[in-house]
Amino acid sequence: MHLPDGLMPVEMALAGYAGSGLLATISLSRIKRLPDPSSVVPRAAMLTTVFFAASLVAIPVPPTTVHLMLAGLLGVMLGWFAIPAILVGLFLQAVLFGHGGLTTLGLNGLILGLPALLAFGLWRSAGRRWPDLVALCAGSGAVVLALVIFAALVLAGMPAALDARAEQAALWVFMLAHLPLVLAEGLIVLVVLRVLRRTAPQLLPHG
Amino acid sequence: MADPACSPILLSARARLVVAFVLAFGFASVQSLVMVPVLVAIGAAGLLASGMIRHNLARLRGAALLAAGFLLILPLISGQTELASLGPVTLYLEGAQAGALIAGRLLAIVALTLALLSPVSPFDLVAGMRALGVPSLMADLAFLTLRYMQEIAGQLSRGQLARRLRGGKTGWRAVPDHAFLVASSLIRAQLRSEQLWAAMRLRGYNAGLNAPVAPLGPLDWACISGASVLAVALFWLDRSL
Repeated sequence: MHLPDGLMPVEMALAGYAGSGLLATISLSRIKRLPDPSSVVPRAAMLTTVFFAASLVAIPVPPTTVHLMLAGLLGVMLGWFAIPAILVGLFLQAVLFGHGGLTTLGLNGLILGLPALLAFGLWRSAGRRWPDLVALCAGSGAVVLALVIFAALVLAGMPAALDARAEQAALWVFMLAHLPLVLAEGLIVLVVLRVLRRTAPQLLPHG
Repeated sequence: MADPACSPILLSARARLVVAFVLAFGFASVQSLVMVPVLVAIGAAGLLASGMIRHNLARLRGAALLAAGFLLILPLISGQTELASLGPVTLYLEGAQAGALIAGRLLAIVALTLALLSPVSPFDLVAGMRALGVPSLMADLAFLTLRYMQEIAGQLSRGQLARRLRGGKTGWRAVPDHAFLVASSLIRAQLRSEQLWAAMRLRGYNAGLNAPVAPLGPLDWACISGASVLAVALFWLDRSL
């Protein structure tokens, strides 16, 4: 769910860079407060690579196949590292594969970064008490929030000459088409976190 | 002015990144349909000059599909002025214009980005990012992600193949299996990262990316200046039409 190049006005693209820059600055300042931030870099990089690779795999979710976003899982597992990881992933996708966009990198950073932080906050505040419910909400909620931000940005950025009602209808169709992804991501985050809680609890922030 | 024509070997990664960003924003600022053929021509020239035409065309496929989607769908759903009517289907002028503008900008930006940046090695790309002021933590993340990408993607696809060969479930029932695959990859990645951290400390972490950055050469400056002039010229032409 990336905004491609050429779709959004330059002013919005620049505002997206400012927003993502702010998010990155906050995240990096929180990361620097860790006892030894450098030691976490290899772990964050390896996990980022898994997320990046897993999002490239198409999985069958009838009636179609989907590419996972994994923003919720990224947020839960990487915490504040999720923002730099997402920005790096988006940049590499844009320059190496032509996915997403160079001008829309900042906006795409917000579309994936804010849901990841939501999932992180959810897991940190209630993950210990209701792990399964929170995992499901973090996975599905992250996709829903990403869809809402995506739709809001497209509505704000489309040319004024276009028919607003038709544009809204198209966005509704787009959002409904992503319903399987909402369910699939919730299920995947639930299963992954369940497996990790049993076999590798040290991988989760709450152990 | 013809930045993409600069030699793919001589231009530094840092200059390539600056040129790609400057031109991408210059192209994105275009609002007049008349300018679209110019953008597409510059993008196509960039692709031809990159010397990796087949490789870049393959990577351009996704953007081309998306552009085709904009071209086909927007005239059908949006606009007031009727352009053509084929039975129950009506095509609208405003939608067609918006579709052509978005598709043209998209293809030109992606083509130029690929032409400029795909010949650069991953290490040079990350070193270029670092030299442009990207925080070292993000540059290191990018480098390590690129370094292990193929290995982990290979692991995942082997896991998928194994699941299929064992007669894995299909449809919705395959989703938990995929989750198990992701979970096992995460556990393996964690183990690998511990080894990696030990190796990085032994080798002197950060020595590579924090090495002194070579100054930009005359060709770098010429290409950056050319790209800036081209972007400003496109903006000015677009607004004056």
